[in-house]
Amino acid sequence: MLVYATKRLGLAVVIVSVAMLLLFCMIYLIPGDPASVALGPRATDAMKEALRIRMGLDQPIWVQFWNFYSGAWTGDLGVEVLSERPVLTVVLEQLPFTLALIAGGITWSVALGIPLGCWAAVKRGSLADRFVGVVSVAVIAIPSFVIAIYALLIFAVTLRWLPAIGAGDPGDLGDQLIHLILPSLAVGLGWVGYIARMVRASMLEVLEASHIRTARAFGLPERQITYRYALSIAILPTVTLLGVGIGQMLSSAVFAEIVFARPGIGRLVFDAILTRNFPLVTGAVLVTTVLFVLLNLIADLIVGALDPRVRSSF
Amino acid sequence: MRRLLREPLGVFGLGLVILVVLSAVFADVVTQFDPNRISPRDRFMDPSTTNLLGTDQLGRDLFTRVLHGGRIALYVALVSTAISLAIGIVLGLIAGYGPRWLDNLMILIFDAMKSFPTVMLALALVTLFGPSLTAVMVVVILVNVPGYARIIRTQTIALKSSEFVTAAQSMGASTGRILRVHILPNVIGPIVILASMDIPVVIAIEAGMSFLGLGVRPPTPSWGSILNDGFANIRETPWIAIAGGVPIIITTLGFTFLGETLRDVFDPRLKGR
Amino acid sequence: MSHDIKTGPSRRSVLAGASAFGAATLAFPRMSLSQDGTVLTVRSYSDLQILDPAYRLSAPEGDIMRAIYAGLITNEPGDDWTWTPYGVDMIEQLDELTIAFRLRDNIGFTDGYGQMTADDVKFSIERVANPENESPYAGDWAALREVEVTEERAGLIHLNEPFAPLWNSTLPTTTCSILSRAALDALGGRIATEPVAQSGRYLLTEWTPRQRTVLRRNPDWAYEPGGYDEIIILPIEDPSTAELGFEAGDIDYTWTAVSSIARMQETPPEGGVVVEKPSLAYVWLGMNKDVAPFDNPNIRRAVQHAIDTETVVDAAYFGAASTSTGIIAPGLPGHREANLYGYDPDRARELLAQEGVTDLSITLDILNQSERLTAAQVIQSNLADVGIACEIKQNDSGTFWTLGSEDGDYWDQLQMIIGRFSMEPDPSWATVWFTPEQIGVWNWERFDNAEYAELHAQGLTELDPSVRDTIYKRMQDIMEESGQYVFLTHEVTGVLHRDTVEPGLKPNGEPLLGEFRPA
Repeated sequence: MLVYATKRLGLAVVIVSVAMLLLFCMIYLIPGDPASVALGPRATDAMKEALRIRMGLDQPIWVQFWNFYSGAWTGDLGVEVLSERPVLTVVLEQLPFTLALIAGGITWSVALGIPLGCWAAVKRGSLADRFVGVVSVAVIAIPSFVIAIYALLIFAVTLRWLPAIGAGDPGDLGDQLIHLILPSLAVGLGWVGYIARMVRASMLEVLEASHIRTARAFGLPERQITYRYALSIAILPTVTLLGVGIGQMLSSAVFAEIVFARPGIGRLVFDAILTRNFPLVTGAVLVTTVLFVLLNLIADLIVGALDPRVRSSF
Repeated sequence: MRRLLREPLGVFGLGLVILVVLSAVFADVVTQFDPNRISPRDRFMDPSTTNLLGTDQLGRDLFTRVLHGGRIALYVALVSTAISLAIGIVLGLIAGYGPRWLDNLMILIFDAMKSFPTVMLALALVTLFGPSLTAVMVVVILVNVPGYARIIRTQTIALKSSEFVTAAQSMGASTGRILRVHILPNVIGPIVILASMDIPVVIAIEAGMSFLGLGVRPPTPSWGSILNDGFANIRETPWIAIAGGVPIIITTLGFTFLGETLRDVFDPRLKGR
Repeated sequence: MSHDIKTGPSRRSVLAGASAFGAATLAFPRMSLSQDGTVLTVRSYSDLQILDPAYRLSAPEGDIMRAIYAGLITNEPGDDWTWTPYGVDMIEQLDELTIAFRLRDNIGFTDGYGQMTADDVKFSIERVANPENESPYAGDWAALREVEVTEERAGLIHLNEPFAPLWNSTLPTTTCSILSRAALDALGGRIATEPVAQSGRYLLTEWTPRQRTVLRRNPDWAYEPGGYDEIIILPIEDPSTAELGFEAGDIDYTWTAVSSIARMQETPPEGGVVVEKPSLAYVWLGMNKDVAPFDNPNIRRAVQHAIDTETVVDAAYFGAASTSTGIIAPGLPGHREANLYGYDPDRARELLAQEGVTDLSITLDILNQSERLTAAQVIQSNLADVGIACEIKQNDSGTFWTLGSEDGDYWDQLQMIIGRFSMEPDPSWATVWFTPEQIGVWNWERFDNAEYAELHAQGLTELDPSVRDTIYKRMQDIMEESGQYVFLTHEVTGVLHRDTVEPGLKPNGEPLLGEFRPA
């Protein structure tokens, strides 16, 4: 297990490094000069040059990359162009909001997906099963930003049941949770479908399995069989699926943050690219990528721990 | 085909797809308005017999714009999927059949590319190239290629050690021939089905980017940009937002139902993907 | 012109409020922060990035600085551009080159930096003016010779030559916020995001980045107090999101998108008052004379005639704004009564035919903001009518603000642009950006006219308002004659505030936070 974990970790590090390199190459090509944006219209060339030197933007790109990369290992992601605050601080301020959004999304997908999948498996072949099947596919199909917009228009604007913008009052947990409901629904709804189908499929497999038949033969109530045995098996692929889903949820989170005007990493990167705040862009994308890879890694490790077959084939 | 027709969901999906395709193709015939003709005095009109979905903020007929938007969606979907497939297949074959180090390197790059959230990639690219349909297609291609390449690679590796390949190798067949004649035909089937299931995703990417203003240029009527207009003007009228979002929903549903059914019918092995 | 840094595209998140769908009853009671009349919640369009007046980047920062640092004088709320003392007891222009001032007794700096003295005034003003400090606002004190300290709290400001904008766009602005010499020396650099030695009506007590800024009444401020004990500032980039926040009861004051004004006046949000104030900003369509086809003056003239500015402005702002006759708004010296070249598509086609032009295709660059986009689409349609194909290129703010700059590499491809600059109440603030010196900096049309440059210099030192009026009128005539400009609008400022709040606004609708009072 330890060997497996180490291998995966090592791989993760390499992937992140390569991703960072690609990102740097892309950013280098983006037009627009941070110094002009930061200093505004009345800045002279001398002022802009001074800012560039201060920001290290005058160095060749590989030097900049090396500074960034080596700094990243110590948690120093540089300072952002406009307010000269450390990038790491800025990013960590915004990160919890996105994490909350993703956690909320996972909660929705699991809360809706697992029961639906269970129900469909138990009622296999019936109309209910087909219905769940259709709904699963439907929510997968519809793009999350469309869901976000229509959810907002229906629930926040027309019915006024839920707030439409922002993350809620800082310090008021209840308010923040209420503000989380709609956006995380938008983020997680697509995955309800996948999870429902996955749970249904796993459960069906398991429900037919021999040890279940034995349990039935011994007279164990059906309900207990369902929940105790089958469900716990279904968790495994769900975790794998979520690991895969995190990346997509991150994309959905960006849209949700934009549509619902919430703070978060997605918005941060968006704004940073617009203002050519390169240190912030690279820092935020690094954190996001690390997050994504880390979550994938955790998902993989959990799967590896639960299912020895995976480990040996790696 | 017959099996497909027996699945109600598949038929429904097929029906939707045909509806969308036909309305896009015959957009000019069905409507008489120019989708880009502005008439600001007639802005925000409700649906009527002349304007089936009403007019937008510049007085343009929404129904016409929606139908023309279908053309863009389909164009982007088909062209970029085709290109992604082509590139993905080539790269996958190289990764699978080529030397180990090349394979490892390519896998590394693919995984790295997949670790970026799509939107950030889109934003960075569009900032690079400026908003345009081309930028959207480049984004789609970059997003899809790693996935396709990986699958082709896996299949190629599996086939590499199969009997007929080893036989061909021992007879001195060139790499190119082996790839073309023996491997390619066997890997291509499943991937085409998978790619077709990605069409709704591609349409969503285009709509999403146009919604953010990163896609088509005005006044081009992409569904995403109509949705954006609708969102921006929601207080004036709800019809623009409806006109923009509903076609997206219909199309993605249609293609997904159809794709799922196709996959179930032709190759249930792909279910686990 | 202040460079409005938008930290995000405003096209997104335009959300509906209850007004479109009926009466607003909130399902969840919000914390109505202005219930007891001592807390005011306002919206700014961007978060603060720096709290050093000499290096301020955007208007919201200026608003905060005005509240926390005492300046010499400040604008008075109302419909006329008048000023009222802030830090001074007396201030008077003795002659063309000398201004005398005496500080009020008893203005203290926080953080233990003692009382404000004339030396601090000397320090603050000379700091901005000193080219070595590289303040973008050095131009506001271009004519400064020195500040002389005559007594502990009195002094004289000496100019090298007469400076007409002094009382309009220099003295009442936050360029003249008074900082403590001792504090800045101790700091050894610029003030960043933590304020140092505050002296104004309010103190900045809390800043949660990207979320809120809190100002509290300064207990040591001995003079006219601000109307509220506490002011909370929420940065919300998009005006429509802000409107929604207003309707949700989260904010008490915001200004609205111009295109929302018509709708809001028709159905104002519950408890809200919509105020329309004339704006000094100016929006125009500019053509770059150094890039084909605009190197041909007849083609430029044709474009001037092809644009139906009435429809452009009506469509973009849904009828809330009217067309303009130049870059200087009504109320300022130099405002013109009429344009020289109006909408005449036949004349446009004539000119194009005369030039033998058949399939012209140009690119119009705009900031990706919805009103700009609508205007651009009308322009596109107008040009199509006379046979010119126009492609609209939307740019995010990061790209847009460097398009015409010679630091970048687009300035020699930029053809047509819709520009908007905001304004201070002095005509020279408008004309300065189109001088030959600004070519490749902010003069993206590369407008190059010697007479214009001369007139601009003259306008700065000419103190007689009627002479200035003639000068600035002539300058706009020259601009229009060159064919490079189509003047579109000054827009209009829409302000939305709660009926329990009496806002303190400058004549152009910009907020004076210290002047807001409970109604």
